[in-house]
Amino acid sequence: MLSLRNLKLSFDGSQVLDDINLDVKKGEVVTLIGPSGTGKTSLLRCINLLERPDSGFISLGGLDYDYSRISKKEALNLRRKTAMVFQQYNLFKNKTAIENVMDAQMVVQKKSRKEAYEKSMQELKRVGLEAKVDAYPSQLSGGQQQRVSIARALAVEPEVILFDEPTSALDPELVGEVLKSIEEVAKSGMTIMLVTHEMSFARDISDKIVFMDKGRIAESGTPEEIFSQSTNTRTQQFLNKFYTAVH
Amino acid sequence: MDLQYMIGILPEFLSVIPVTLLIVVVSAVAGFLLSIFVAAVRIKKVPVLNFMTDLYISFTRSIPILLQLFLFFFGIPVFLQMLGFNVSNISAVTAAIVCLIIYNGAYMSEVIRPAYMAIEKGQHEAADSLGYNGLQKFTRIILPQMTPIALPGLGNALIHLIHDSSLVFAIGVVDIMGLATIISSGSFGMQQVEVFLTVAFVYWGISFASEQLIRYLERRKRRVLRRTGYDMTREAGYNV
Repeated sequence: MLSLRNLKLSFDGSQVLDDINLDVKKGEVVTLIGPSGTGKTSLLRCINLLERPDSGFISLGGLDYDYSRISKKEALNLRRKTAMVFQQYNLFKNKTAIENVMDAQMVVQKKSRKEAYEKSMQELKRVGLEAKVDAYPSQLSGGQQQRVSIARALAVEPEVILFDEPTSALDPELVGEVLKSIEEVAKSGMTIMLVTHEMSFARDISDKIVFMDKGRIAESGTPEEIFSQSTNTRTQQFLNKFYTAVH
Repeated sequence: MDLQYMIGILPEFLSVIPVTLLIVVVSAVAGFLLSIFVAAVRIKKVPVLNFMTDLYISFTRSIPILLQLFLFFFGIPVFLQMLGFNVSNISAVTAAIVCLIIYNGAYMSEVIRPAYMAIEKGQHEAADSLGYNGLQKFTRIILPQMTPIALPGLGNALIHLIHDSSLVFAIGVVDIMGLATIISSGSFGMQQVEVFLTVAFVYWGISFASEQLIRYLERRKRRVLRRTGYDMTREAGYNV
């Protein structure tokens, strides 16, 4: 459903992503883990072209594009097939919760106000925020904002939702409610790509774990394969560091 | 102090207010449109044009407005002749308006540009990620957040413009100030204080009216700011 071939990205001469090949099946939850600065977030941002890869190919929901010569219109097409949940939520500050969820449906998908409203209410209910529909982002907690942003992503019915460290900016006591919403999304059959440092969550929710190191995919497999049976030294080092930090 | 005299000359001043208003309104509106273009060029860093707007802003900011008025009044016909138009002189009002549009365009662009820059990158990315095109993103997300930030600066620009317009008498425009110099020389310098005090009251009135307009807009602005939770002092570096 989503596949990346030979994707390369560099910033100012340094190679951020090197020859990435990745396949995501419909309804699959794929989680990217690995040390900071290994390009996990950059990889997500290449998919919706917030970063522009130097070369490579993407196919997503019936679209096939060559990254090295992608037009503005093609970029828009790709973006309209994806949605992103950001680390810093990035809700539109000038709009209420429900307006945040409605806007893209009306502006980008040209749905009627009524249709967009009903869809938005449904998605806000799904993340448990039907009581906060008229609140502005500034009146919501970080966890609530992130849940609105999940509803906003769901409402445009994308082929895949890209979660970019959705809980990293949250106070620890607010992480749970957001993870619960993500779990809901996963259960609904939505295709998900997730970057996170919540290892036990990744283990529970994912169909596939991708371990990234220094701009490359070092290893990928089922949670079981990566967390318990990995023979890759870098993976083991990373996970050991993580376990010692937790315990 | 001759109050009777002041009241006597007031209607004359009121009759030239339209001249001042014409100059102010046209320069404000056209200058604002120009400033949007200039700000856009500088934000997008359009090659060549960006360099030219830098030069333009530096020029208009560094040279006293009075000198600019003279340069435009005497310079525009020369410039037009160079382009092949057969123009020997232009009206003082035209020169004044052109000059103030150019001046105000530079001034206001430096209000609009920082207001645009104050919007977080995340707001752009959120709209981009949902597939908004440039225009949709700007009108739905960026502009509504920029407006309250830019308003106080634009209000100041308007007040400045009203004050600067009082200098156009120097190139012979009979606006409020121009009339004042005519009346005061007509009375052989006997009632200078009365004449200029009357002028002061007229400007006071005009500024007061425009302040009311800006206040009204700012009341709306505060409502928007309260909603967005935007902290003027922290995020834009200034407050009203």
